[in-house]
Amino acid sequence: MDVARLKSIVGAQHVRDAIDELYVYGADASVHQAMPQVVVRPGSIDEIREIARYANSELIPIVARGAGSGMSGHAVPLKGGIVLDMKRMNRIIEIKPDDMYCKVEPGVVDDDLNRALKPYGLSYPPSPASSRIATIGGEIGNNASGIRSVKYGATRDYVLGLKVVLADGELVDLGARTRVEAAGYQVHRLIVGSEGTLGIIVEATLKLVPLPKFRCLSVAMFDKLEDAGESIADIIASGCEPSMLELMDDIAIKAVNTTLNMGLPEVDAIIFFEADGKVKEAIDYEITTMQEICKKHNGQITATSYDLKERTKYFSGRKKLFAALAKYKDGYACTSLADDMAVPYTKMAECARKIHEIADKYGVIMTAYGHCGSGVMHTKILMNPNDKEKWEGAKKAVEAIYDYVDKVGGVTSGEHGIALSKAPAWKKARPDLMKVMTKIKKALDPNNILNPDKLMDAPDDWYTATPIRYMIDKEKTAG
Amino acid sequence: MALENLKKWEKELNTCIRCGYCYENCHIFKLTNWESDTPRGKLILAYGMINGDIEPTEDIAKKIFECFYCRLCEAGCSAKVPVTEILTDVRQVLLDDGFDVEGTHVEVDEDKCCGCGICVSVCKPEATTLKEENGDKLATVDKVKCEACGVCTVACPSGARELKEGYEVSRKELDAKIDKFVKEKLPDDAKEKTVTFCCNWSVFPGLRLSVLPFEDKESNKTLVTMCTGRVDPEMIVQAMRDGIAGVLISACPLGECEHDANYKTLRRVLLLKKMLQQLNIEPERVKLTWVDTNEVAKLEKEINSFSEEVSKLGTVTVE
Repeated sequence: MDVARLKSIVGAQHVRDAIDELYVYGADASVHQAMPQVVVRPGSIDEIREIARYANSELIPIVARGAGSGMSGHAVPLKGGIVLDMKRMNRIIEIKPDDMYCKVEPGVVDDDLNRALKPYGLSYPPSPASSRIATIGGEIGNNASGIRSVKYGATRDYVLGLKVVLADGELVDLGARTRVEAAGYQVHRLIVGSEGTLGIIVEATLKLVPLPKFRCLSVAMFDKLEDAGESIADIIASGCEPSMLELMDDIAIKAVNTTLNMGLPEVDAIIFFEADGKVKEAIDYEITTMQEICKKHNGQITATSYDLKERTKYFSGRKKLFAALAKYKDGYACTSLADDMAVPYTKMAECARKIHEIADKYGVIMTAYGHCGSGVMHTKILMNPNDKEKWEGAKKAVEAIYDYVDKVGGVTSGEHGIALSKAPAWKKARPDLMKVMTKIKKALDPNNILNPDKLMDAPDDWYTATPIRYMIDKEKTAG
Repeated sequence: MALENLKKWEKELNTCIRCGYCYENCHIFKLTNWESDTPRGKLILAYGMINGDIEPTEDIAKKIFECFYCRLCEAGCSAKVPVTEILTDVRQVLLDDGFDVEGTHVEVDEDKCCGCGICVSVCKPEATTLKEENGDKLATVDKVKCEACGVCTVACPSGARELKEGYEVSRKELDAKIDKFVKEKLPDDAKEKTVTFCCNWSVFPGLRLSVLPFEDKESNKTLVTMCTGRVDPEMIVQAMRDGIAGVLISACPLGECEHDANYKTLRRVLLLKKMLQQLNIEPERVKLTWVDTNEVAKLEKEINSFSEEVSKLGTVTVE
């Protein structure tokens, strides 16, 4: 690795290769870790092009990194090489309120963009829960979505155009600035969700929508999870357009009650549903319709409000769930494994039950919650992460869950992407897609330098793909 | 090796899911933009040292010793990891292991220190002690305990204590920022220039370097002074002498100051107002307001109304 050359490209102050830097940049929010050889912070497109040309000629891997908040190992540099920290390129280039789009650099933080859009009465809505730190580049790489994606869709629905540096350093301008485009391959949409394997995103043109004037949240309790599941399916089938539709199962409810003393009723399931828009009467109609559906399925409506403070209070149980799960039991950790599959609406309740069944069978604790309006079921495996036996159970549980998801027509990942953790199950489920993706990858990155060994090229066993971040039996799982 | 003592944090470090929410408001990260300077990065380094993946180095110690104890990392933590407590312990262990590095703590100019001990009495975290050398008393700073609140820097009669340069909160850097702001040309219809001094432990706005939680007015400069007990009346007078028409100080409400120093600020502001009156300067040009954690909207409102009031008074002339 010619570190001096990299320093000459971006400036010495933006290149680091000391062990402490490499160790930190080898981790993200997944269970994986591996070290790069150097961390580089480019400040311009030209610098990135030059870095790519150098890396391509020397066959050095490049892993572009945003906030490092991915949960499947996207930013973990499995093959070492260069980590490109894109956070320096964080300019909002232009906001066009009349044309309803904006242009940004990849390092712009999602919340910062939405803060800048607010004075124009506009928003960029497919934000994930991590929007406080997540960068637009990372969100595009992962095709991120979040709590309001049930109404507003995922990142792919908002990317109108992209500037991308290809593996050989060529800069390409893809897509358009218009809402519709019927002009050739939609290659920019292909880049969305490609997890840094096809090109380095250096600029994005994003579609914007008006900020809603009103928001109303309602909460329904169910004594039977199946009733909640049927309500979710019926709400979607009714033609209602909830801006949020969330589920919490009994384990999730117990978790927030015991660890955070939230005082939620210990029912079998809770659903939170929200409607937003410009006209209050329309929102009232949507909320009432959804409430009636819940009541029809034996749900009890316990709260409804337009008021921000009240909405925040009612939703705090769901909002603080992650913290509750992390503190579920002394010595336990909340691991991101099989954590975001999507299943058909009618299979939501069955999927949650299946998750509990599988967890019991393999001796781990699992909860089911998530953005059910988008069909996304989140789980976390709660266990003592230092106990090797628990990991054996977790491995089997992950496999069993994905087998079930595939059987009912679901997908391995609805939100968090494939990268490393989910690659084995995804590869098993989508052989045809793998073939096409491999051809595309070879065409765009013949030397395989862009985030290599991810997605279809990821190792077949996620557990040994990299050392696991925990001190399992005080030993590492792989070297 | 003292690192063994850190194993007690293993469970808490396992609880950390490495989501990165801790660094949203981290001042050190906002300054450097390197992930290794984030609380998450530091926890990962601590974990690596405990499990033997990496050896402690001076570079690692320097990173770990950079912290302003604002605890915003903990407030943002999705797993409620006691980040500050863990990293404070890591600092102690590294120090015990011989990594006596410089961090964000207050510096003492030994040539100026007269050993009076006033700093000891105002230091809430008990980070200051007096040592005796050849019969002379000298103030010292505990690098682990010092939270860099800056209260001692104003209390010190010899001017022997100061916050370190390089973190945008030293007196020199604050003065330079005000100076730069004074020289900025505003639109013709802009109001008189004001400066707002904010507390690090209340709403922490200025240290969010990437973006303020609200749009700062063109005519106002929001600066974080660390604890407002660090605001020296001299800083205010200096700002006015430079051309600032009014100074607003946003402190934690009485009784809620972590450093027991806001009542000192109150006393100083009252005295300063009397002094300004004697100099024929309207005392309304200095205002102390109480803003609690998360009262960002209140701060914004205060800044706006203060700016309006000061504009009515016009420019200030300090003789």
